[in-house]
Amino acid sequence: MAPSNLEQDIARLIVESLQLEVDPAAIDPDAPLFRTGLGLDSIDALELALAISRRYGIELRADDEQNGKIFASLRALAGYIGTHQK
Amino acid sequence: MTEQGAATGRDWASQRERGSKALSRLMLWITLTLGWRAGTLLLYPITGYFFLASPAVRAASRDYLVRALGRKVSGGDVVRHLFTFASVILDRVFLLSGRLRGFAIEVQGLETLTAILGRGEGCVLLGAHVGSFDVLRSVGRDAPVAVRPLMYREHWGAMTPMLEALDPALAAAIIEIGRPDTMLRVQEAVAKGEIVGILADRAPAERRFVAAQFLGATAYFPAGPIVVAGLLGAPVVVFHGVRTGPRHYLVRFEPFADRLVLKRATRQQDLTDAVGRYAASLETVCRAHPFNWFNFYPFWEKPDHGE
Repeated sequence: MAPSNLEQDIARLIVESLQLEVDPAAIDPDAPLFRTGLGLDSIDALELALAISRRYGIELRADDEQNGKIFASLRALAGYIGTHQK
Repeated sequence: MTEQGAATGRDWASQRERGSKALSRLMLWITLTLGWRAGTLLLYPITGYFFLASPAVRAASRDYLVRALGRKVSGGDVVRHLFTFASVILDRVFLLSGRLRGFAIEVQGLETLTAILGRGEGCVLLGAHVGSFDVLRSVGRDAPVAVRPLMYREHWGAMTPMLEALDPALAAAIIEIGRPDTMLRVQEAVAKGEIVGILADRAPAERRFVAAQFLGATAYFPAGPIVVAGLLGAPVVVFHGVRTGPRHYLVRFEPFADRLVLKRATRQQDLTDAVGRYAASLETVCRAHPFNWFNFYPFWEKPDHGE
């Protein structure tokens, strides 16, 4: 499945906010963002959450039981943002 | 980044934690049964054992002491170093369980912390593996907000039940490192006006580290604690609790930054500067209380992983 526009936006946000040396288009939407896959850590998660909050006005909360799923992949993150965006 | 280096760092950490875990259990039983004095008698054979059994620990101690004392180091200095470490572990049993009779704990600079909390803000408390972290509990009990230690779960591991029994509130307050949402938890704690305590001196287990001058040579410190403090824009306070004698501790809080700013354009330099300041404050403590340093590994060696 080709990445959606929102997924492409978020991929760019990830690369910009974390200053990754990766082409946003090269991020596999289904690959894990943390540890394996893109190899992000929890500091990246905080930075990404702050960037998402600035861009989309959505607060990612640590006590959210969905967190494991939200951060599972670019597609999952975009899904969450898509449904919570005002 | 090589996994090997990271693994070695962690192996070292877990090996050391295993050792101190067994030691803690033994001391726990003896001291709770027979009291602090009996526990103290045990420190002599325990110190002797560590001195004889672990050349690596001896070498690390000597390497550090030469730098901190600035003179030739004797076997007696190394024994004293190990004895101080064992003493702090013994005292931990009493500090965590709130059995503070016989302890003299002097606190300096608490107003730094209470001023921040008084404004309804949280903060990041940067400590190190120097002296006692647990001595903070005796301060925390009277303070309006308790400290939430940020730490690896493995560090407690099998010790968790023991700690929970000694201090249930502490066990519940721990923010575990190694989960994707670890730092989001830190953010929320600070936003709620809580104090998050981070020991910011051990680089081997961390992915990102920064070089800084420390006791006359280049050493490596984790970047994470400073990066997180910068992202949160929260006040940062430096803390240490050193053992100044049998059951005597000195706890000190020092303001580090009202807001730690890592500007995007100058991020690496800002980070290096902040870590350098942290290393300098740590050096001051090590010079004043040289035997309270509890990083028994080749501290000045560059971690062979990371960025």
